[in-house]
Amino acid sequence: MVESELRALFAQIAGGEPAGGGVDVALARRRGRARLRWRRAVVAGGSVLAAAAVVAVAVLVGPVRPAAGPPAAGPAAPRQFSPLNPYLSFGWLPAGNSLVAGGVRPEVAYLIGGRSALSPLTWNLVAYAAGQCHLIGPARELKCSTLALGGLTVRITGRAPAVRGHRAFWAGPFLVWQYAHGGWAELSLPLANASPKLTSAAKREAARRDAVKIADHVRYGAATPPLVFPVQLTHLPSRWRVSSVYYLPDAGVLRASRFALGTGNPNLGADGGLEYQTNLPYFQIDPASPKGSCYRYPNRKNFSEKSAVEIINGYLVVLTHRFLGAASAYDLCSAHAGGLALYISQHGAHPQINLASLFRDHLRLLGANPANWTRKPIG
Amino acid sequence: MGRPVVSRARDAEYTEYVAARLSSLRRLAAVLCADGQRADDLVQATLVTLYVRWGRVRAAAHPDAYARAVLVRESIHERRSGWARRVSLGGKVIDSPAVVVDQDVVLDLRAAVAALPARQRATLVLRFYCDLNVDQAAEVLGCSAGTVKSQTARALAAVRRALGPGPGSGSGGPGAVAVEHPVSPGGGGGG
Repeated sequence: MVESELRALFAQIAGGEPAGGGVDVALARRRGRARLRWRRAVVAGGSVLAAAAVVAVAVLVGPVRPAAGPPAAGPAAPRQFSPLNPYLSFGWLPAGNSLVAGGVRPEVAYLIGGRSALSPLTWNLVAYAAGQCHLIGPARELKCSTLALGGLTVRITGRAPAVRGHRAFWAGPFLVWQYAHGGWAELSLPLANASPKLTSAAKREAARRDAVKIADHVRYGAATPPLVFPVQLTHLPSRWRVSSVYYLPDAGVLRASRFALGTGNPNLGADGGLEYQTNLPYFQIDPASPKGSCYRYPNRKNFSEKSAVEIINGYLVVLTHRFLGAASAYDLCSAHAGGLALYISQHGAHPQINLASLFRDHLRLLGANPANWTRKPIG
Repeated sequence: MGRPVVSRARDAEYTEYVAARLSSLRRLAAVLCADGQRADDLVQATLVTLYVRWGRVRAAAHPDAYARAVLVRESIHERRSGWARRVSLGGKVIDSPAVVVDQDVVLDLRAAVAALPARQRATLVLRFYCDLNVDQAAEVLGCSAGTVKSQTARALAAVRRALGPGPGSGSGGPGAVAVEHPVSPGGGGGG
């Protein structure tokens, strides 16, 4: 019977195939994230997108008397953070936890602490620049408006012990406090609903004690390990700056893993300015992996993606153009370029630079050795 | 810049899930495509879709079935696009020990299956590789059970025609247009 032969044939084909083949899960995640961004952009548009990013923590508690420490005195919070200066550092984390990532953009600096980069239970510290946050009513809400994020509103649920003598509040899973004059910080506790370990009142209380201790030991504007970049850009237009950085601790330094370029005039654009500026390059750079590869879209009719493979400066690169109207994007991917894996994207219908030209003429690859990395990403 | 915690947790969940299923997805893709490179492309595209729809995947009663459906539909979509028609679908001869003894029959069978329209091939794969019944296959393909039956019947008839009379050609042979026996315990027979 042909049915039994088909079963045998299919089993034979399946049995003869390598388990993973040339499939790259990390690449799928990147592509998936990009697709989500485009989808949001296409559906919502930039400004609506920003509104969608508002975080509202709904907790059913009334106003709290503002008696948890005085308003912060002393030095004022920065009006803006420099993306090249991490600004924040943890002075203490619970045993087994360490810094797993951090980032800076002009309106916020943030740190993520946890047991590992993949752990869902992390301590997330965000410091807002001066003027970004305002206490509403009699300590009823803390409302933070950031240019890119649209805002974060937390409903205050109770008083917290003062942090270094400054007023602090609980807001659901957040501890919020005024870290300097005009500047507020928040620390999100490991989410209770993600951790059975934190469901008991005793565990929650322990997490709160840890949160207060973490907040007490945060350092602002102090020296941190150097923030270094594994590439350097040269001969760019003079107005171009690094507008945001996401970094990872790596070999004693903070390695810029992703960064965006901006021109000083934030354009909320496709992703609301969270990661990149419209029509300007956004870099994702990590040490190359032996199994790394770049996805090349097959040239299919009626598909909005086209890929081309080129050799540039001796490196194999895949250039992809996605035709999506206002949400068009250009990508350049090189899985192995001088020890680095690069993924450069430029979202928008009017790219400011050709990515092949950027790679060929403006990008110095500094290799995988941290000793060769630079604090000056734009030379 | 940095992704929020929710996004990172999502990534971790997603990665753990797909890493555990990569092998089975890759095998299914290979059966659907009969071409290793295309199977990779298909799985890669499937993984992207699964990431985008991760909320639905993890909320699904049967996430594996959802993932399989995504892959099968991607394969049908891709083969309709025209790109597949420009590449060889014959694939390479597998060197692993054959379950079917007669390699000539295997090669003919591969060619016959490769020549099927995407949906018919997917139907056969779901029925005879994934061992789904008619209703389950219909759910994956997003069509009615009757359509699955008719697609199965047409596909089997086409394969029999391609193989011609002889060992392994079943009851059909040239000119056969319908399957007369039930194709699996879970479903109906030919349409």
